[in-house]
Amino acid sequence: MGELNTAISIQNLSFSYEKNTVLLNANATIEAEKLTVILGKNGSGKSTLLRIIAGLLPYKQGLIGISGKELKIMSLSERAKTFGFLSQKHKAVFPFTVEQVVLTGRAGYINFVPKKSDVEVAETAMNKVNIMHLKDRIYTELSGGEQQLVMMARVLAQEPKMLLLDEPTTHLDFCNQIKLLTLLKELTMQKLTVIAVLHDPNIAFLYGDDFLFVKNGTLERPAEPIKPWSAEYLKTVYEHELQSVPYAGRALIVPGIIQKKQNDR
Amino acid sequence: MKNNKIIVIILYSLPLPVLFLSLFIGPSDMASVSSILAFFKHLIFSGNAETFQTVQAILWDVRIPRIILAFLVGGALSISGSSLQAIFRNPLVSPYILGLSSGAAFGAALALAFAFLPVQVSAFLFGLLAVALSYIAAIKHKNLSIVSLILSGVIVTGIFTALLTVVQFLSDPFKLQSIVHWTMGNLHNASWKLLSSSYIPILAGVIILFLMRWRLNVLALGDEEARTSGINPSREKIIVLVAATLASSAAVSVAGIIGLYGLIVPHMVRMMVGPDNRQSTILNFLFGGTFLLIIDDFSRTAAGFEIPIGVITMLIGAPFFLYLMKKTNIGWEN
Amino acid sequence: MITRKHIYLSIIALATLLCSCVNSSKDKCSGNDCKISVTDFRGKQIGFKEPPQRIVCLIESALSGFYMLHAENKIVGVSSNVYEGNVFSQYAALDERIKNKSLPAPGNWDFISIENLVALKPDLVVMWASQTEAIETIESKDIPVYAVMLKSTADVYKEINDFGKLTATEKRADSLIQYTKAALSEIATANNNISKTKQKVYFMWSQGPLETSGTNSTVNELIEMAGAKNVCTSADEHLVVNLEKVIDWNPDVIVMWYDANKNPDYVLNLSGWGNINAVKNKRVYELPSVFMCDLWTLKFQYAAKLLSSWCYNYENKSVNLENEKAAMLKKLYDSKGESIK
Repeated sequence: MGELNTAISIQNLSFSYEKNTVLLNANATIEAEKLTVILGKNGSGKSTLLRIIAGLLPYKQGLIGISGKELKIMSLSERAKTFGFLSQKHKAVFPFTVEQVVLTGRAGYINFVPKKSDVEVAETAMNKVNIMHLKDRIYTELSGGEQQLVMMARVLAQEPKMLLLDEPTTHLDFCNQIKLLTLLKELTMQKLTVIAVLHDPNIAFLYGDDFLFVKNGTLERPAEPIKPWSAEYLKTVYEHELQSVPYAGRALIVPGIIQKKQNDR
Repeated sequence: MKNNKIIVIILYSLPLPVLFLSLFIGPSDMASVSSILAFFKHLIFSGNAETFQTVQAILWDVRIPRIILAFLVGGALSISGSSLQAIFRNPLVSPYILGLSSGAAFGAALALAFAFLPVQVSAFLFGLLAVALSYIAAIKHKNLSIVSLILSGVIVTGIFTALLTVVQFLSDPFKLQSIVHWTMGNLHNASWKLLSSSYIPILAGVIILFLMRWRLNVLALGDEEARTSGINPSREKIIVLVAATLASSAAVSVAGIIGLYGLIVPHMVRMMVGPDNRQSTILNFLFGGTFLLIIDDFSRTAAGFEIPIGVITMLIGAPFFLYLMKKTNIGWEN
Repeated sequence: MITRKHIYLSIIALATLLCSCVNSSKDKCSGNDCKISVTDFRGKQIGFKEPPQRIVCLIESALSGFYMLHAENKIVGVSSNVYEGNVFSQYAALDERIKNKSLPAPGNWDFISIENLVALKPDLVVMWASQTEAIETIESKDIPVYAVMLKSTADVYKEINDFGKLTATEKRADSLIQYTKAALSEIATANNNISKTKQKVYFMWSQGPLETSGTNSTVNELIEMAGAKNVCTSADEHLVVNLEKVIDWNPDVIVMWYDANKNPDYVLNLSGWGNINAVKNKRVYELPSVFMCDLWTLKFQYAAKLLSSWCYNYENKSVNLENEKAAMLKKLYDSKGESIK
């Protein structure tokens, strides 16, 4: 893969909360216009990594290059035009309408009040996520899944080059999970780089283009010929007995113990 | 939605007739409605109004400055309250939350007792000082936490209230009475002089908040959302905080403490037109001004003496607010 | 060994002893025993066998009365307001103890340190009737209280009369009252001769330009004594009025209560007051001192004289009331009155 297609390059990144080290000399590259999934155990630092890239956590050691430019020296509005960040859970207080919430995604482009063109961008974003029918509804009265889609539209209204999604499927039902992942795939077709933290490896392997594992404070991408969906490799990540079931050229992952018990019968 | 639009139109068109009708309301027997009308007739048709000197004096020297002052003070407190509620994401916030009222009351009391500064100037300065103290106390590692800000506001309020008590304790009955009157809120001292000393900070704050009106929506969503969509929440919050403090301390310095006003009006406006700050910011100013003017019309005519306006906002405003709260959705569900 | 119980017991014993000391007021009496008996402003009767010898007076204006009666040697405690700027120099001239700040001040109209008060072992406390809680506490310690509430000059006469009875100086009290009444009727006669239309007076308290007094007040009486008319016809003792009303009333004279931080120029420059006759004609006057003009003492005759001359003799610049003031002080305070400035 050539240099040109690298969206983000991470070099020797270390990060700790107070005395608790989360990342230690992590290195990785993330390809542009792909759906990259970050996997790892709970508390391994997946969300931390995403938040560092989104500019929410200041890092002291290491380098993060964004299309060749160091993240630290990027201004807030430059970052906003580069990254769209969707956090796990958003707690709304005011009963804004959906349109008003989506419109706030345009903040980096707007000096004082939104123009007509901003409203149009917001509407395009709502159309992409298929929530146009919710436009005038009150955000706080929506279901968790609908709220997640609204926030997704808000991030799209930002017109970023990359999407950073922190467990975007958490509050979605099965059907909406499929819809969202399909949407993410489509967005990569539209030249967006999508980086998502997911805790379900199956969803990841069904839709993802590239996989990055957070392991003992480092970032890892299994080297050929080891496949990311191989049970042997995933055992080292999740530290649990696993079994992979071949599916569509890749594999589905199931807990190993159940397999064993069924075999015993 | 249609219903909403009608309310918005009413709110926008309310101030002018109320401002005009307030000209006719007052305790003076000389400046009765008929004599004011006769005065206007003379003014327009003959341009000579010398026979109406008293009417002119009452209108020009007393009513007009008071009407404008009441409107500005009410508008400033409401717009500051609504902006602060947005950035604090908290429905209990009012311009007084950061110690403004107690700081200003202490400043006023100090000036009333020891006359080292004009009362308004001292109230204004100590109001700002109190907010600055709360703010400095709350800042930690360059980060502004809303919870610590509210907490330090409560503490600073406590300190200045205690200091106020000390001043009251040291004052003679005359001064004590002036201090108590000041803390009850009053517009009866309104004059062009008072107006000229307060309109600049009030309007400066109001204009800044008006320009920030949409950004308040972004800030109201939360810090992370604001930051990742290209807005520095700390910086923007400070701008809003400074503008709101400027406007409301100028208002407090000329009118004393008008209790609950900056808390109630933003809720009333939100109940009527929804939470979108693009619209509610300016409507808070207009409705806040109009409503205080109506209350003041009442306070200067209801009895043979001046009823402190702070008392009326409490006694009329608070039950009215409770009624609205029962009837409509307050809009802070989460 | 001394146990905790012993300590408690000794504390109780000590407390009982202290209490009994305070309570051992021998002058108290009941029924026909009383040689001296007065009814205070609450309507409560207080009686003594002998004139009380240790009086604490927590009202500054009332204290003035004791000096007029030459009963200051019975005063063992005063109001802390006596030590404040407005009146201190005058009291210092009247009493060495005040000058040296050696006369204890256990409280004032607002706050009283019961402990300090009790420590003075008073057999009479003079205080405002409005201080009900403090009165209750003091009376519960068996210290008699004479409670004061002044609403008219008649009340001022009653107060000085009662003090006369309590300090066995009734004759002096009576002569002071007669003197004051004579002075007032002198003003009235003089005003009758002027036979002009009554001047309209607006009285301004120091709390603010719109704070005045209505008909049910000593201020109103003062204005009437001076032969003038109070513009504020509301019944309230003290009220805040609207500037519109003041413009309506258009007073001929504005009289300001003494305020160290203000002078008539303050009123002349007030925004919006320019159309009022008194301001237009610069007839704004300030009562010169709290001590001299105290409406709650017999000195109010001086304020009445000032007011009268401001209303009816303002064109005559040569009028000098200093002599009259000196004469009044001489009369009310005797020789010591001369040293009051």
